Amino acid sequence: MKRPLGTIVGARSGDKGGDANLGVWVRSDKAYEWLNGFLTTEKLKELLPEATEVSRYELPNLKALNFVLHGLLGDGVASSTRFDPQAKALGEWLRGREVEIPEELL
Amino acid sequence: MIRIGNASGFYGDRLSAMREQLEGGHLDVLTGDYLAELTMLILGRDRMKDSSLGYAKTFLRQMEDCLALALDQGVKIVVNAGGLNPEGLARKLDAKVGYVTGDDLKARFPEALTANAYLGAWEIAECVNLGAQVVVTGRVTDASLVVGPAAAHFGWARDDWDRLAGATVAGHVLECGTQATGGNYSFFTEIDVTRPGFPIAEIDEDGSCLITKHDGTGGAVTTDTVTAQLLYEIGAPEYLGPDVTTHFDTIRLEEHERGVRISGVKGSPPPDTLKVCLNTLGGFRNSTTFVLTGLDVDAKAELVQRQLHDAIGAEGLTWTLARTDQRDAATEEQASALLHVTIKTADPKRAKGFSRAAIELALASYPGFHVTAPPGDGTPFGVYKAAYVNRDEVSAKAVLL
Repeated sequence: MKRPLGTIVGARSGDKGGDANLGVWVRSDKAYEWLNGFLTTEKLKELLPEATEVSRYELPNLKALNFVLHGLLGDGVASSTRFDPQAKALGEWLRGREVEIPEELL
Repeated sequence: MIRIGNASGFYGDRLSAMREQLEGGHLDVLTGDYLAELTMLILGRDRMKDSSLGYAKTFLRQMEDCLALALDQGVKIVVNAGGLNPEGLARKLDAKVGYVTGDDLKARFPEALTANAYLGAWEIAECVNLGAQVVVTGRVTDASLVVGPAAAHFGWARDDWDRLAGATVAGHVLECGTQATGGNYSFFTEIDVTRPGFPIAEIDEDGSCLITKHDGTGGAVTTDTVTAQLLYEIGAPEYLGPDVTTHFDTIRLEEHERGVRISGVKGSPPPDTLKVCLNTLGGFRNSTTFVLTGLDVDAKAELVQRQLHDAIGAEGLTWTLARTDQRDAATEEQASALLHVTIKTADPKRAKGFSRAAIELALASYPGFHVTAPPGDGTPFGVYKAAYVNRDEVSAKAVLL
């Protein structure tokens, strides 16, 4: 069933120079097992087509994944012409994307 | 146990937070972070105008209001509000003030407007050990504001990696103020974040801590709000700092009746280099937003784009068209799309001329021409870059006035 990712996934994003970071987490081990399999680098790029070079890190202790979107913000917040130059709402954009979420996690 | 609060997550945060934290309950130390990458640029421009400035002025206002209260309660104040001029700020405060200096590397990077190494916790700890009631620093890592007083309080050694890593995590949770207590939080509908309280870390001798907040304040401290903040502005799980490498994949969180316990954090030696925050002036920028309403939105955008390019040239202009318009809309606002244009140029005259060129189109362009706000004269913009230097190129120092 297609539902917004944010139905079960929380997110926080921000800037580090010209890179953006996007952390996502879920609230149960079952949901983390699903998220970790589902949200690959390729899937993230598909959901956020503005992302080009992406690093992905797993934090199972926090039921979280962290993505670094390299170069998304150009030369950093002061010079970026991007709509959201500090990538503050990048995570909320991702949460709004609709994806197939297993029924039992909803 | 040492009880360390935070009263600021950025330059411009809630001015009354300092008083709220001092009056809300017991604290040993109150910290405040005022310096983002962007702030260093803002302070750099302040300093260009007046060399006695270059620090966070709002902190001085908070001290006028709260310094006596803090001294009276025996609460130490530790902030990075010194920005580019910690000594200048320190000399304005009527207390036993320590300051940290040595982060300024402008001599090493003369092309930069600001060049500051991220210093660590040990000079802060030294100021505390020397008896400072207030410690002001320039560029230190945000977490150092918490690690420093904790290290001084417990007498930690420089190779107490796990303890330092634990306190670094506490500092990372606190450094953005209310982002740890429900501010900017995905599941905000589940809690009351009308006015979230500022966070507190109760740090134990082993570096573990309880994240909490004063009784009666708004927001919440839950594993979810803390997880959200742990994920803010991080990269790989090996979180590099000047004093310790903190392994974020070892953090353990547990709900507690007063907040969240953090334990299990592992640390290892830090890298041999220190990170440097470099800001250079990149040029000048200006921008405006055209409102395109009703029919032919793409053609309207194309026309105004062609006209502005004709007037001042296409170089350095970035356009985005946000199709916020709806068909057959019941309100004018819903019928409107927004066309944003930004100019970045080395020439301040061209940045200023952009405004005139845009406004001269007002009666000569697409039907329904208007802008959300008239463009200004343009402003200088900075380019941020990180650099790395060997530790021995930086001589950090603690000074007690």
